[in-house]
Formats: sequence, C-alpha cells, structure tokens
Amino acid sequence: MAYLVALVIAIGFGVPVAVLSGAIGQAKAASSALEGIARQPEAAGKIQTAMIIALALIESLVIYALLISLILLFIGIPSAAELIKSVVK
Amino acid sequence: MGESGHFEIEHATWLHFLKANHWLPDWMPEMVPITWLVILILSATVIIGTRSLKTRDPGRFQTFLEFCVSALHGFVKGIVGEHADALTPIIGTFFILILSLNLFGLVPGFTSPTANINTTVAFALVAFLVVQGFSIRRMGVISYTKHFLGDPIWLAPLMLPIHIIGEIAKPLSLSIRLFGNIFGEDMVIVILIGIVIGVLGKFLLPFQFPMMLFAIFGSFVQALVFSMLVGIYIVAAIGEH
Repeated sequence: MAYLVALVIAIGFGVPVAVLSGAIGQAKAASSALEGIARQPEAAGKIQTAMIIALALIESLVIYALLISLILLFIGIPSAAELIKSVVK
Repeated sequence: MGESGHFEIEHATWLHFLKANHWLPDWMPEMVPITWLVILILSATVIIGTRSLKTRDPGRFQTFLEFCVSALHGFVKGIVGEHADALTPIIGTFFILILSLNLFGLVPGFTSPTANINTTVAFALVAFLVVQGFSIRRMGVISYTKHFLGDPIWLAPLMLPIHIIGEIAKPLSLSIRLFGNIFGEDMVIVILIGIVIGVLGKFLLPFQFPMMLFAIFGSFVQALVFSMLVGIYIVAAIGEH
C-alpha cells in the first residue's frame, strides 16, 4: 500500500516536471522559428520543416517520462523478495 | 493492458471473431489482423487504380494517385536532395502506412496498431536497416566503418562507442516517440469516454470528440515526423564523409 502511495506521488511529480521542461524547450524552439520567419518570409517553408522536426524531437523526451510512468503503473517492478526468490530457485 | 485487474478493458474489435474461433495463435494481439486489413485496403486501392493507366485524358482517380506520388516525391526531394528517386518508395510507404494505421484507431470498432509497441519497434527496425543498408551501399563498407571512427584517428576509442550508441538511439527514439504519441492519444479518448460514463451513468454526450479531432492532427504530425526523420538520418549518415 505504501508502495502505491509512493508510486502515485512520484509519478504525480515526475511527469509534470518532464512536461514543464519540454514546454520550455519547445517554446524556445518555436519562438526562434517564428523570429526567423518574420525576418525572412521567403524561407518560411524550410524553417517550418525544421521547426516541426525540432518540436517532435523535444516532445519525444517528454514521452520517455510518460512511458516510464506507464511501465511502473501497469507492468510494475518486482519487489526485492520476488527477485531473490526467482534467482535462488 | 490492465490484466492485473484495476483497469479492465475488454479488447474486442470488429475482427474479434478471428480470435474467438481460434483461427489465430493465442499470443497474437488483435491489432495484427487489423494491420493486414489496412495493407489489404491500401494495396487493393492502388492495384485497382493503376489497372488501365492512360497518358492522355486520365480519369479522376489516376490524377489523384499521381498527385499523391508527386507530392511525396517533392517532400522526399526537399529532405534528401539528389537521392530522391531511390528513397521515395520507402519513405513514402512509411508515411502512408503509418498515417493509415494511426487514423484507423479512430474508426469505431478498431484499434490503432501503432498504439502497440510491437508495431512501432518493427517500423523502427526496418528504418534502421534501411538507413544502414543505404549508407553502406552508397559509401562502401570501408569508408562506412571509417566514418564510425571519427576524424582524428587517435580519437577512435572515444568516438566509436559514442557513434554506436547514437546509431542505436535513433531507432529506439523513433519507436518510442510514435508509440507514446499514438497510445497517449488513444488513452485520453478512452479515459474521456470513461469520465462521461462515470458522471452521467450512460454514454450521452460525445465529450471525446474534440480530442478525436486533435488525434487526427497528431496522427498526421507523427507520420510526417517519422518519415522525415528516416530521411534525415540517411542524409546524416551519407553526408558525414
């Protein structure tokens, strides 16, 4: 029971931290891209393409954090007793 | 998911009869026949559309197919440049197939095959083989391994593990990015439906509809990013020498 409480608290704080960092990174990338487009509107297509790639790469890091929280919630980690039992047997 | 009991969803799609009659092996998830169905639909569309190609006075469907091919060719040319003729088939196939598989999950009664890690790892492995195979064939095995060792040759013990880890991280990130995005979108839709049922008792209002619109947009973006990244990895692997 305490494990579940600790797990929920950890995920409840861990995933938003990842989302916050991802949002800051994506905001910086998008603002530079928009500034570049405003400076040179004829390069808008290439800048937009590069911006989409940068946003997807930053977002994938946020999804790593979500993936770990999903694995912990639904697949779980075995306790130390079970690990020792499976190794000893 | 949810075999341990605290979030039971009964997985049943329109193709559930294949598993109920045990025509498929028991370890095969239900999304595999859905992948087959999508491949069947796409192939049948294209084969029927290209049966009588005409150079003058083409029909509407042939013009539409030509538009798709030329749009994909222009898209690949913008990324790869001179190798577009050799790379348009594989990158275009990635785009069309991943887009179709993502969107199929929004059709009532089906599930997205890309919301399962097995499908996306398969795509990422094929992409990895395509990148390595294309760069080996273009550069030759000798200069390909030399690019792995870095510029000053005495830095090789440092550059080699870094390059190998970088090459392995690429298909890993491709698969996890696609899986996480599509699975997250589908899970949000499921949970929104669950909220409506929990609050109102029955399914009265389609509150998940705005999320489904966003899921359509997200499916496009993820298919685009996957195929574009494969092209960029090929350009990076070739152009570094």
